[in-house]
Amino acid sequence: MPGFTHLHTVSGFSLRYGASHPERLAERALERGMDALALTDRDTLAGTVRFAKACAKAGVRPLFGAELAVSAPEPGADRTETSVRRDRRRAPVRGGAFVDESAPRVTFLARDGARGWADLCRLVSAAHTAEGPPLLSWAANHADGLTVLLGPDSDVGRALAAGRPDRAVRLLAPWREVYGDALRLEAVWHGRKGTGPGSLRLAARTVGFAAEQGVRPVLSNAVRYADHGLGPVADVLDAARRLVPIDPAKELDSGEAWLKDAGAMRQVAERVVEAAGFRREAAHRLLEQTQETAAACLVDPDDDLGMGAVHFPEPHLVGAGRRTAQRALASRAAAGMVLRGYDRRRAYWERMHHELDIIAHHGFASYFLTVAQVVDDVRHMGIRVAARGSGAGSLVNHLLGIAHADPVEHGLLMERFLSKERVVLPDIDIDVESARRLEVYRAIIDRFGTERVATVAMPETYRVRHAIRDVGAALSMDPAEIDRVAKSFPHIRARDARAALEELPELKALAGEKERYGRLWELVEALDALPRGVAMHPCGVLLSDASLLSRTPVMPTSGEGFPMAQFDKDDVEDLGLLKLDVLGVRMQSAMAHAVAEVERATGERVDVDAVPDGDPATYRLIRSTETLGCFQIESPGQRDLVGRLQPATFHDLVVDISLFRPGPVAADMVRPFIEARHGRAPVRYPHPDLAEPLKGTYGVVVFHEQIIDIVDIMTGCGRGEADRVRRGLSDPESQGRIKVWFAQHAAANGYDAETIQRTWEIVEAFGSYGFCKAHAVAFAVPTYQSAWLKAHHPAAFYAGLLTHDPGMYPKRLLLADARRRGVPILPLDVNKSGAAHRIELVSESRGAKVWGLRLALSDVHGISEAEAARIAEGQPYASLLDFWERARPSRPLAGRLAQVGALDAFGANRRDLQLHLTELHRGARGGRGDQLPLAGGRRTAPAGLPDLTSAEKLSAELGVLSMDASRNLMDDHRTFLDELGVMPARRLRDARHGETVLVAGAKAATQTPPIRSGRRVIFSTLDDGTGLVDLAFFDDSHDACAHTVFHSWLLLVRGVVQRRGPRSLSVVGAAAWNLADLLEVRREEGLEGVAARLAEAPGTGAAPDDAEGPARRRLAGSDGRPAPAGSAARDPMEQRRIRLPTGYEMHPWADLRPAGEGPAVGRKLWHQSPGSAG
Amino acid sequence: MTILCVRFQLPPMYEAALPQLLGLLEEFTPVVEALPPDGALADLRGAERYFGRSAVELASVIRVRALALHGVDCVIGAGPGPMLARMALRDARPGVTCAVSEGTADEFLAGKPVAALPGVGPATARTLCEYGLDTLGRVATAPLSTLQRLVGAKTGRDLHEKAQGIDRGRVVPNGVSRSLATERPFTRDELDPDRHRRALLSAAEDLGARLRAVDKVCRTLTLTVRYADRSATTRSRTLGEPTAHSAALTRTAYGMYEALGLQRARVRSLALRVEGLVPAEQASHQLTFDPVDEKVRRIEEAADRARAKFGPRAVMPGSLAA
Repeated sequence: MPGFTHLHTVSGFSLRYGASHPERLAERALERGMDALALTDRDTLAGTVRFAKACAKAGVRPLFGAELAVSAPEPGADRTETSVRRDRRRAPVRGGAFVDESAPRVTFLARDGARGWADLCRLVSAAHTAEGPPLLSWAANHADGLTVLLGPDSDVGRALAAGRPDRAVRLLAPWREVYGDALRLEAVWHGRKGTGPGSLRLAARTVGFAAEQGVRPVLSNAVRYADHGLGPVADVLDAARRLVPIDPAKELDSGEAWLKDAGAMRQVAERVVEAAGFRREAAHRLLEQTQETAAACLVDPDDDLGMGAVHFPEPHLVGAGRRTAQRALASRAAAGMVLRGYDRRRAYWERMHHELDIIAHHGFASYFLTVAQVVDDVRHMGIRVAARGSGAGSLVNHLLGIAHADPVEHGLLMERFLSKERVVLPDIDIDVESARRLEVYRAIIDRFGTERVATVAMPETYRVRHAIRDVGAALSMDPAEIDRVAKSFPHIRARDARAALEELPELKALAGEKERYGRLWELVEALDALPRGVAMHPCGVLLSDASLLSRTPVMPTSGEGFPMAQFDKDDVEDLGLLKLDVLGVRMQSAMAHAVAEVERATGERVDVDAVPDGDPATYRLIRSTETLGCFQIESPGQRDLVGRLQPATFHDLVVDISLFRPGPVAADMVRPFIEARHGRAPVRYPHPDLAEPLKGTYGVVVFHEQIIDIVDIMTGCGRGEADRVRRGLSDPESQGRIKVWFAQHAAANGYDAETIQRTWEIVEAFGSYGFCKAHAVAFAVPTYQSAWLKAHHPAAFYAGLLTHDPGMYPKRLLLADARRRGVPILPLDVNKSGAAHRIELVSESRGAKVWGLRLALSDVHGISEAEAARIAEGQPYASLLDFWERARPSRPLAGRLAQVGALDAFGANRRDLQLHLTELHRGARGGRGDQLPLAGGRRTAPAGLPDLTSAEKLSAELGVLSMDASRNLMDDHRTFLDELGVMPARRLRDARHGETVLVAGAKAATQTPPIRSGRRVIFSTLDDGTGLVDLAFFDDSHDACAHTVFHSWLLLVRGVVQRRGPRSLSVVGAAAWNLADLLEVRREEGLEGVAARLAEAPGTGAAPDDAEGPARRRLAGSDGRPAPAGSAARDPMEQRRIRLPTGYEMHPWADLRPAGEGPAVGRKLWHQSPGSAG
Repeated sequence: MTILCVRFQLPPMYEAALPQLLGLLEEFTPVVEALPPDGALADLRGAERYFGRSAVELASVIRVRALALHGVDCVIGAGPGPMLARMALRDARPGVTCAVSEGTADEFLAGKPVAALPGVGPATARTLCEYGLDTLGRVATAPLSTLQRLVGAKTGRDLHEKAQGIDRGRVVPNGVSRSLATERPFTRDELDPDRHRRALLSAAEDLGARLRAVDKVCRTLTLTVRYADRSATTRSRTLGEPTAHSAALTRTAYGMYEALGLQRARVRSLALRVEGLVPAEQASHQLTFDPVDEKVRRIEEAADRARAKFGPRAVMPGSLAA
């Protein structure tokens, strides 16, 4: 009995069609005894690499293919009656038109090795050149290395289903002409009734038709999912793709399209041939044909796809001329030595030659030249560019101008980047200004040509929120309800939906009504991690030789039309394609803007790259922890760390950035470092030999480079090997082996057992956690530069920040910070504001100039770039009429400008202005004259409308600018907060450790990062106008507070002050209320109402340091759950802790983007009064 | 204080009871204006003298009778004109009649939101609120010219007067219930045009039968499609001739539905409403030489008789029987 090979199988990479991951398909193929399996995703080859790897693991031979929509041979031939009617169909008034899936679909399988694969790539790329959905034109529909399956969805199959064998014959002819012997007719039986796809009658007709026409038939199961019973998931995917709800009265998925084993397929074959009127034995022939077809499709993942091989751009493109790349690299590096004045230093020469040796060993010279070429090009365009990552450790990179920092001076190691012992592609990342990132892409494409360059794809996969939305819509749930349910979840994986409902305190209310939603949860979990869309990866660019297009399918990106490979960044590495990460860094753009503003306003040229280190004002600013907006050191945790560490030099910044990583924080490297730094603990080295690498960090291991040095010094194995050892440390298995090896070699080098033991402890504990110093140095440069700007040019700095919005905080918080630091905020004014934020001289007294920040037009809600530019160009405007005629704003935009006071200069109050604008708008539309009642020619006449109240003005600012520009929104609540006795953030600095306080403010940022104890802690920051309050909620308060904290914008919190250093202060929350609610109550019911609300308060009264509280309560069953029987019962939370390789524990729900909608912006912070403007 | 505005607390879809309740009001005064689906205005100018009681006292009598005779509670507002009576109704509760007198009108109105004023629809209210004129007090103090610039000359003048408590309206006696409505909800988001048409057919049949039962014909048919996101589309069409013929109503309903061209819209319900009801004997009917039309109408007559005898499901279109 022959086996069976599924020739037509789609995975989840067929967007919203396939329901199983390629890995799962490969696994099941193995389990069901198949020795080969094809992957033929719809319109994409994106799953290929994962599929090939999974097949290699499972020992199944992979076949590669794709299912493509194909247009008819000659235009007009398929314009049957139905398509004519479709064209005439009127546009729906609501809900949009149906998704058009009428194009016939055909399966292509790569047959002849590399040629087949190249053909397949070409066809897929060609299909994506069509307008609208992917469609392969007939002109491009030809290939020598492909086998074609005409199934039920092809034009031939459809003609057969319609009972038109004559038409089928006519349609088959062009296919035969092109593909000849490589053509197959595909029969599929899914147990459906009638003659449509999946019906027995169509399968039988197909087999009969094949015999009649002399085309070989094959049997397939048109697989959409790996296992039986996934039909409902396929229904949800169908609904999500077609954007309609599931209609149980219509034909649903048959439930048969799973990866059936050979026996089941044999039965299918027998039924089909019997129905076709052949003898039962013919089934054998059908299966054999299928097997033969599969056997002919020979594409080897390693040889033919090019997995494991490396392809660099040709040397002549990267300035090597006719020389070899290696020689060109060597001469450029030597030139760099002379240029930078290192040519008299022997150590540099040795290092350079050593590195060139390593590069030659791997043959990576072209790579370095390519990156250097890109960096040169970018620099010529006048864009700020900086290298980041371990590449900064290479002197050659520095000499070529790729990396700024001198690696020898900062003690950075080449081996961390590239060594003879490591056989992986090196990785150089370059940072450019975010606002000009796409320009850089275009430059790269122009330099190397579209046949060598493509961006990298990034599949967007289903996580819980999207899964709920799509399943809910498919199940006809109420849209408002779907929205509520989806938003109450944190951003977790879809498969954890039910577990999260059980365990997360903020979902408790939802868990109570869980049953109401029926099958929702099951289906949501089934969608887990399936791709639902594809986007351009924000930074990866592929660079290859001219053969790129025959190895990679390419499609245009939706917005910019860049060529984009269908593979994601991991696939690309496996395929041996060179990927250069070009990261757009907003801070670089912000700094560029700040510098440009300073020059525009003062004429002074500031070169932040040339700022000398050790500027006292800058470090004073950093030590004050008022580092909002500074690169890398603005988060609450970093501000806390900076406060404790008190950096005074550039090296301190490097250490600070390295310490603030999940690893070091989890491993508690911070405390010993701080203690030693402030002289509270002595500096210890395991051995005097190790003092050299460790002295810069007071004996604490912070950097990867230090581990490499320690291992090298103790064992004498060389740094390249030491780096390999370091990488092995994170794996518990190899850790054991390394320990033995380390002890042996260190002993051989004459170290005593105790030293070895102590050193090993350090290496073991911190080895896999440290941070690459090269990264940290690369990060610390913009950190210092941004802090310098903040200290010396605050107004320009804020202008840059607000224009390019780099940080983790909402803009209104930056504005509040600016106000606190004494930068005057100047309101929006159409006669003064530019498209971007600008600085303006406010006052000048005795040489001291005060610069103010003028808000930008671009922050107005709904303004287009063109409108902003037009307004800025036409300045100044003499009157409202002048503004209306020359700037030509849209009516809503003009209204918004009037609301926020940008037109105040034209006289009259803001509502009168609105009225005038409306009339101007009407007048313009009606074509009537420009009659406008003007008082005194220039000024706009008042119309007697009531002006906006001060609260309405603030509300308008929040609504239009998303910022409270005129004053802090908390100022308006000050009286109520004083009634409550809330402590302002400014006075919090004087609070005692352990004091219970009330704080209030607008929520700025909320995180649940992983922390050492394995508990889940909610960190949040409140802004109350006088400063920031950092809050921490430990898990005993979560039951009471979590929901409020995640889902409110204004918070009132009771907590205990925690002090850890002179500048380090946080509040441990015990109870939280939604301040917006309380304000409402105060307004309507007075203080008594507030008291009543507080009496029923969420405050549990549990002391915040009672960490065992909730766990104990859960075990005791006092929170409503039945008490677990027996002493073996454990806290369910306990079992789900994630144990990291080195023994640290992590809470399963830590490190997620939390529930709710992120920090508050705009209107949400303000009550909606019926009389508010707009 | 001679005009009453009465709102009967009818359960929804019970507007058929309104004519009887209006009859109750007509026992007090002939000047009654129906405000379908559940309200009415009554001018008690003569009744006060006739019954020797004030309007507020008569209001209590009306409420007692409505409860006693029909088991329907009502809320009543009283004022010197229809507008003020309606405004007063907003503040009334069952058993507490709110009365506004001429002198206190502007005071009474000052704090009310503009949207409460009869004749101010959502669009006008939005415009006024945008310009900060969110209460009638503010509207009253705004210059007339500004108001007219905002909402147009006539509306502006009306608004200005009304906001100041000047009520020039009169109670205009009119016929009973001028409209009938029926709704067909779906249990899920329904996209299937066949099922939509079936719902329309059943709704049109139902309305036709109800019209013929009260010997009325209608001039206008309104289709309201409600969607899953709680929004709705409304289309209205005036019929060629006033009719109660189910087939004609169905045809018009289908026409309106087709014009929407719905494809992926998630429809949660379809509602039909017939408006402009007039007595059947006043309707004109265009005769044709086509005998089919005549036959269909006679079949309908026969079917109506069968339904009267054997219940509403005795005769129905074949596509609804499934």
